[in-house]
Amino acid sequence: MTTSSRVGSPLAEVLADPANSVGVAAVSIAELSDATARLAEVPGTRLADMFAAGSDPVTLRLVWALDADQRYVLTESPVAGPQYPALSDVTPAAFTEECEIYEQFGIRPAGGKPLNRVAVPPQHDIHLPRLGAAPREPAADVHAPHTVGGQAFEFPFGPVRQVGVESLYYGLVTSGEEVVDVYLLTWHKHRGFEYRAQGQTPQEALFYAERVEGLSAVGNGWAFAAAAEAALEVDPGHTAQTYRGIALELERLYNHAASMAALCQSCGLAVGRAAAEIALERFLRVNARVFGHRYLFGVVAIGGCGHAPDVSALRAMLPAAYDELRRSAELLLRTNSFVDRLEATGIITAEQAARLGLVGPVLRGSGISTDARVDHPSGPYRDHRPAVAVQTTGDALARLRVMLAEATESVRLIGELAADLGPGQGRPAEVPGQAEPGTPHSPGSGLGWAESSRGESLAWLELDGAGRISRARIRPAAVRNWRGFDDACRAQNVFTDIPIIEASFWLTVAGTAR
Amino acid sequence: MPQWFVTGLRRGVVTTRYPARREPAADDLPTPPAFRPEWLSQDRALRLAEVCPSSALAVADGELVFDVGKCTACGRCHQAVPEAVTASGEFELATGRRQDLVKRIPILPSSAS
Repeated sequence: MTTSSRVGSPLAEVLADPANSVGVAAVSIAELSDATARLAEVPGTRLADMFAAGSDPVTLRLVWALDADQRYVLTESPVAGPQYPALSDVTPAAFTEECEIYEQFGIRPAGGKPLNRVAVPPQHDIHLPRLGAAPREPAADVHAPHTVGGQAFEFPFGPVRQVGVESLYYGLVTSGEEVVDVYLLTWHKHRGFEYRAQGQTPQEALFYAERVEGLSAVGNGWAFAAAAEAALEVDPGHTAQTYRGIALELERLYNHAASMAALCQSCGLAVGRAAAEIALERFLRVNARVFGHRYLFGVVAIGGCGHAPDVSALRAMLPAAYDELRRSAELLLRTNSFVDRLEATGIITAEQAARLGLVGPVLRGSGISTDARVDHPSGPYRDHRPAVAVQTTGDALARLRVMLAEATESVRLIGELAADLGPGQGRPAEVPGQAEPGTPHSPGSGLGWAESSRGESLAWLELDGAGRISRARIRPAAVRNWRGFDDACRAQNVFTDIPIIEASFWLTVAGTAR
Repeated sequence: MPQWFVTGLRRGVVTTRYPARREPAADDLPTPPAFRPEWLSQDRALRLAEVCPSSALAVADGELVFDVGKCTACGRCHQAVPEAVTASGEFELATGRRQDLVKRIPILPSSAS
């Protein structure tokens, strides 16, 4: 559970009140630039999200993570006209969100800077539902200008790539083999979750929230449920939170195994890939036996947990599954031809990672130890603090090392959480969800978060008096981290490094396209 | 690199033998529902249609129309009306024709409940 300051307090008052883990401050449009600059300078603070809601006026919200203070602070600003101050001049971490807000609400940052398309494809005859008013003019869709000595060759790749890989379009600009620029078009997987969630109850919308990005069903589902629980003032309780913690760490384990498999494939190491995929399959079978679903769908419920774990099966199956991963990883890290491909590939510096507001293993591989389980502890992580894995070289190898260390830590955490449930055998009692549809209550809003395998996942919900959603915002980690992918590919890399970098980021297109 | 050669040989083939042999891991998978007609009142049928998030259930002409092709085995129908719904245990669902995936379960006459 989180405690929130009264919505609409002045920013100074919110900042001066450290007791609230979530503060919401009213900031006028005239003050927004200064407020943004002020928050961007606070040590240990990053812009975690930016989004809009409503119409006439549109409310612009920025979500700041004050990691050093273990709090989130939201600023809310009414935007009466078509423009607001250009915030990405102050914090480049806001640019993708400025583009998204323009596309969905028709309001744009002042200054006329070109914006990119995010979710709406350029075909004029498609009417896609939006959250607000359509922009008067479509986004100029101008990508970073690139200047190359000699000749540059730009070619399109995708959106249909190879079997089993998400639709994603790369615009690749190359000079010989070297990657000069890469820009991504991610609208092919846009499904309009935030639009679809409007009018639903939180429990109805949770079905879609956990399927927005299936590989982070628990991470995104937990963030969404926590937002609903904050809005409904409902506490899921210790037992349900413990179940969620076990599920989230199991999700982290299988995703990190899948990333290792993808890295092997990107380097052409077929046996390594098979070994990692054996570990992956074993983790998925643990999930199915323990929680009834290979991808852990249906585990999180609003105010509770949809499926209690089979703890004895967990104790019996997890060690062998983890052993598969550990043995394969040890062998991989002794394989010079593999390690050579990852070293110095796809470097993200600490400065870049901080400037862009990245999260998760990508951030921690660049030397910044931000982890929502530690910086914003909630639920089981208050009593079970994970050791945060950090590397400093910022390359693909660093990200792999972070993931492997996290996998070891996840197994340890699962052991502690299972011990919390006692020595009992079989399946403990269910903790059903608490929120019934249509239950009358005061309108409310809330912020939820979880550290998914890809990084911090955020959600914000606004509920009306009938308990139905008037605005749902879901921000999986992928939304934050794809902007780092461009930079990583540009850092002295060649074509064939791109799949390696993509595997080391292990993001999803689904998570950003939503 | 030789260690990978040895690793691969030593590990051998782990691929499932399904369908030649039964795959035990399939027992843990969620499966689409089976409906108990003796419990299927009009009210329960309407509740089932209301609660299904993928529109796999509908009420028409005195029948509960269940489109297995739309079912995600999420289990919400079972949670909502446990007396009328069980897990079918079936995961071999492929048919030759799309319409064979649509099942119709009679709803009890309105005097019964």
